[in-house]
Amino acid sequence: MNTGKKQNLFAKVWLKKSHTLLVLFIFMILLSGLSFTSNPVETGPYNLVYPANFGNRISIPADNPTTKQGVYLGRMLFYETRLSANNTLSCNSCHQQNKAFTDGLALSKGVDGVLTPRNSMSLANLLWARKFFWDGRANGLEEQAVTPLTNPHEMGQSLAISAQKLSKTATYPTLFKLVYGDEHITGDRIVKAISQFERTLISANSRYDQYQRGAYKPTDDELKGMELFNNGPQPEKGIRGANCGHCHGGPKTYMELFHNNGLDSLPKDSGIASFTHLQTDQGRFKVPTLRNIALTAPYMHDGRFKTLAEVVDHYSDHILESASLSTFLRGESNEVGGKSLKLLPIEKKQIIAFLNMLTDSTFINNPEFADPNSLTAKTKH
Amino acid sequence: MKKHLIIACLALLSFTAIPFITQAQTIKVSGEVTTPLTIDAAYLQKLAPTTVTRKDRDGKDHTYTGVILAEILKNAGVTLGPELKGENLTKYLQVEASDGYQVIFALAELDKSFTDRTIILADKVDGQPLAPGDGPYRIIVQDEKKPARCIKQVTAMQVHFVK
Ligand code: HEC
Ligand code: HEC
Repeated sequence: MNTGKKQNLFAKVWLKKSHTLLVLFIFMILLSGLSFTSNPVETGPYNLVYPANFGNRISIPADNPTTKQGVYLGRMLFYETRLSANNTLSCNSCHQQNKAFTDGLALSKGVDGVLTPRNSMSLANLLWARKFFWDGRANGLEEQAVTPLTNPHEMGQSLAISAQKLSKTATYPTLFKLVYGDEHITGDRIVKAISQFERTLISANSRYDQYQRGAYKPTDDELKGMELFNNGPQPEKGIRGANCGHCHGGPKTYMELFHNNGLDSLPKDSGIASFTHLQTDQGRFKVPTLRNIALTAPYMHDGRFKTLAEVVDHYSDHILESASLSTFLRGESNEVGGKSLKLLPIEKKQIIAFLNMLTDSTFINNPEFADPNSLTAKTKH
Repeated sequence: MKKHLIIACLALLSFTAIPFITQAQTIKVSGEVTTPLTIDAAYLQKLAPTTVTRKDRDGKDHTYTGVILAEILKNAGVTLGPELKGENLTKYLQVEASDGYQVIFALAELDKSFTDRTIILADKVDGQPLAPGDGPYRIIVQDEKKPARCIKQVTAMQVHFVK
């Protein structure tokens, strides 16, 4: 009977074990359900890859290093409508990937239906920018992101409420823990993650980039356009030019300069002067990147020009005089003693051909930048 | 004729209609200094004037008047003269313009014990205040072939160590 007892005991232990196994099994299923959302989240430092000729003058604050999990969270938040007062707007509403992160509108509508005072800006190669907005008033992406989130005419919700709303979701507390070590969601953590994602928006595979690394042979028009773009006009020496590169030059077509490019004699929007109060800063705005410029119409801080042809016409023939007009646009002419650039119709076409070389289809189709929700939606169907 | 009149009126308006535009440009001197400075016209007036002649883009010689840059930096307590040795030789002056343009000078480029070349912060050209597009303050580098470091509309000067 001894054996019988033993057997009995054995059976009991086994039963107990199977219980724990069952519990474990159920737990595993639950866990896998959870990790279904967190499974694709890789962790570790994010490797920012870019061409050497872009240079290494990049800005990453010491307290917000770029990590794979941070970029993932930032991307979720970039497309998160819960961050707006009526759950309808996200950053993506005014910054859409297929338009190089612009929205195709002159001015954009916020949650309250009021139009933004300025044109939405393309988000590309922000890693190399130090001053943000058309007037450069924000010193860093983290500082910048607070404005659209909280401005009543944009997403219109305090950071505290945004943090609260995300805390109540099933997914975000886990994601914040993965990124910051605990589930605490704060406004600061939200803007940091968004900024990490924005730093990865690198555009470096336009035909112009390919040309620079010897992988693309430009057409004759593109080549002539590039020359005109980069040369200053010197009619005495027979050199024709449009001098665009003086402000928009370099491999990134972005140099972080601020100028008045002659749109108005009396600017309605005073630009930088609104906070420097200097006469010479009237109507001075950021010289924006020209990357993907063919995709980001309408143009200028108020979206006044619908086409690149209108833009080139402006520089060629319609620069308006004022005390703050950039000296780079004064007295630049292809005619000796001329007052304006006076480009020929064929030259205008060539410049536009060059501007089209700056379109980076790899950038606008990169799945890493796309809405993560619409991707899972696709795989579900 | 009509067009000229309109432009003249607009120009006038642009000076009168916007009353809050009253500030005068100043230059902040900061970074590796013992005394941060804010330079304005009155400040420059107190320092000895120096003149440098150089060709401008028009190909003609112009006479620029201003103050030797090193004198301003000495007032800010920058390590020039006998102190410019050892690790202090890895310091540079970064000059910024109102359009965001920046250029740098190694401190040794500015020091009289290293070079006779004069670099000034000018506020006058040929005896007149600089044109608004160039001034009120502009760096003039004597004999430098390209004008790229003769930075216009200077707004800030910072001394830093190379990292
Ligand atoms: C309602 C439309 C709208 C929404 C929503 C919006 N933006 Fe913008 N964004 C703009 C406009 C308009 C500007 C230019 C504003 C200015 O210069 O004053 C801008 C500018 C920017 C810039 C500056 C780019 C540069 O080169 O200086 C960044 C970065 C940016 N937005 C990121 C974001 C992020 C991140 C979000 C979400 C948190 C967001 N935006 C939401 C309209 C929007
Ligand atoms: C003096 C510097 C300067 C020069 C030279 C210059 N630009 Fe610009 N450019 C600017 C500034 C500043 C803006 C933004 C102005 C604004 O919106 O108020 C701008 C805006 C643009 C835009 C619109 C960008 C956008 O996102 O809306 C295009 C396109 C453009 N420039 C093309 C050119 C071309 C082509 C040339 C040469 C023919 C040229 N620029 C020469 C300073 C310059």
